[in-house]
Amino acid sequence: MADILKGNFDTKKKVEPAAKTTEDELEEKFEREAMKRLGGSIAFVSKKKVKWDLDD
Amino acid sequence: MVDSKSSSLGEALVARMEQMTWDRIGELSQKNIRRNALVRDQGESLRALRDVAVGDGDSAIVIAAGPSIHRHDPIAAIKNSGYRGAIVATESAMVYCLRNGVVPDLVVTVDPHDRIKRWFGDPDLSQEELDADDYYRRQDMDESVRREREFNEEVIGLLDRHGPDIRIAVSTTAGENVVRRCIDTGMQIYWWNPMLDDPDAEDSVTRAIWRENRLPLVNAGGNVGTSCWMMAHAVLGKKRVALTGMDFSYYGGTDFLRTQYYYEIRDLVGEDRLGEVFMAIHNPYLDREFFTDPAYKWYCECFLELAADADCETVNCTEGGILFGDHVAFRPLADFLAETTDA
Repeated sequence: MADILKGNFDTKKKVEPAAKTTEDELEEKFEREAMKRLGGSIAFVSKKKVKWDLDD
Repeated sequence: MVDSKSSSLGEALVARMEQMTWDRIGELSQKNIRRNALVRDQGESLRALRDVAVGDGDSAIVIAAGPSIHRHDPIAAIKNSGYRGAIVATESAMVYCLRNGVVPDLVVTVDPHDRIKRWFGDPDLSQEELDADDYYRRQDMDESVRREREFNEEVIGLLDRHGPDIRIAVSTTAGENVVRRCIDTGMQIYWWNPMLDDPDAEDSVTRAIWRENRLPLVNAGGNVGTSCWMMAHAVLGKKRVALTGMDFSYYGGTDFLRTQYYYEIRDLVGEDRLGEVFMAIHNPYLDREFFTDPAYKWYCECFLELAADADCETVNCTEGGILFGDHVAFRPLADFLAETTDA
């Protein structure tokens, strides 16, 4: 949600988001587990086509 | 019923699809890559395909397995036209081609899931397995798949007969049973790595994989149909590529039960909110509405992004579905065939 709501002024002090709690992390993990079954067949990488060799 | 007014749930899932896909296939893909390293010598690098004349001329037709191939039967028109360009088929469309007497010039497989083995015939198919998984039975696909055991025998027969004639671009992420069938039926295997992440990024998993096997890296675009299109122009060098069976959607009136991710979506949001996950898309070329799920919508968006930078003309001749946009013309297959075959 933090990246959806937009403010209309700059704060004097920098606002740091609250650190994640164990509960937040568990909820996030549960959410990812539930949603991963809807994932695609294979990955998509933006702006890439074929690479015959990589420069090492 | 698709809730046309609000597909916010669906769109929210599309926005997270990259992560969801990694979570779904990342670990399995890497496991398959490690296993397939042991049979790497059963084929050549995809690089070898660059020296092979695949289809005449500078055009190709991709045949994927979306619902439109059963409604429009593109292989019949392709055969009747005398088309001599390259035919690049998904593994899921390979049987459709073979049944109609057409050996594709190139078949592509990439999905790491064990279910894909059904398209190669499963000599060990058990009734228990059939009873436990209705994935193919319930979907809006070839009705004959419902007679799964008979279908399986047919596929085994077709591949045992035509295997040695088939060139197949096998992803290193392909499942054990798929790879086994490719080897056992004598297919000409060309190995490639799908990009699992950006190979130019720091700590890239893809780069680490490449260091191990030195096989070409191909952006699979999220699904095997897009992989076929990528192979057609970026590997085979074709300048005009037609798509068939690339619906990325379902026809209106299709029961949700018959869609690919029905159980997964139902388990996530509940039966009464299914309509908020599926998204209705109007195709202006057909003046017809289709509906899609988050994964297929994502495939469509990925394809359109890739098409914008492609070194080929892309013509969607599926005559159905939701794939159209600035760099993807939407035209009847008959037009493409008329332009690419001798009169």
